[in-house]
Amino acid sequence: MTAPYAHDRIEITRRPIPNAEIARQVRADDDGAVATFDGCVRNHSHDRATLYLEYEAYESMALAKMQEIAAHLHSTYAIDRVAMVHRLGRLEIGETSVFIAVSAPHRAAAFDACRYAIDTLKKTVPIWKKEFFADGAVWADGELPPIPAQTPTAKPASK
Amino acid sequence: MTVKVLYFGRLKELSGSSEESVELRDGSVIEDLFSTCSAARPELLKFRASLVAAHNQEFAAWDTPLSPGDEVGFLPPVSGG
Repeated sequence: MTAPYAHDRIEITRRPIPNAEIARQVRADDDGAVATFDGCVRNHSHDRATLYLEYEAYESMALAKMQEIAAHLHSTYAIDRVAMVHRLGRLEIGETSVFIAVSAPHRAAAFDACRYAIDTLKKTVPIWKKEFFADGAVWADGELPPIPAQTPTAKPASK
Repeated sequence: MTVKVLYFGRLKELSGSSEESVELRDGSVIEDLFSTCSAARPELLKFRASLVAAHNQEFAAWDTPLSPGDEVGFLPPVSGG
């Protein structure tokens, strides 16, 4: 699936995220603002010292859900470009796990869209993190995505 | 019919695999699939209330009917970001 907006960058990667490059890429001459969100690995969780994190995903679905979020941003806010990149695998303290950048002619739309994107990603994109401590590891508390209330029409399997 | 089941996060660790093929009676829904899977792995049962099902990569209700070749993921609460 390709992003409906040619200048958007929606990715899942196992390599370090090039934050500065991504923030530059969303900027065009029409834009007066770029809002970014840098989600990074904290050195503690619930008063325990974190050693590192491991992320895994239902990759094809996660990418589709991230593209849905980007499409929603374009239809809802007066923005220009969207970049949303999530990293998987082992991440050390201080590394970026997710980076979001939104450009817009004016700052309010960029801020609002960026905030919506990270809040929604954390609720609906099938990615999981495991926290490793000196004395063990746990899957992080997460959020349960909303379940459709009614039976949808059965769809054929994707090929 | 045969459907593909995917496990993630703590479910993957519990089930010992990330993917399996499961044989179901025609007319089965996602709930029936979970019952079949947890009959083989009773430890899955205690997670039922904290799971969301994905049907062909869309979040789906538990009474969603299944077709041959469908892909169903059992997803624990998500924690990306």
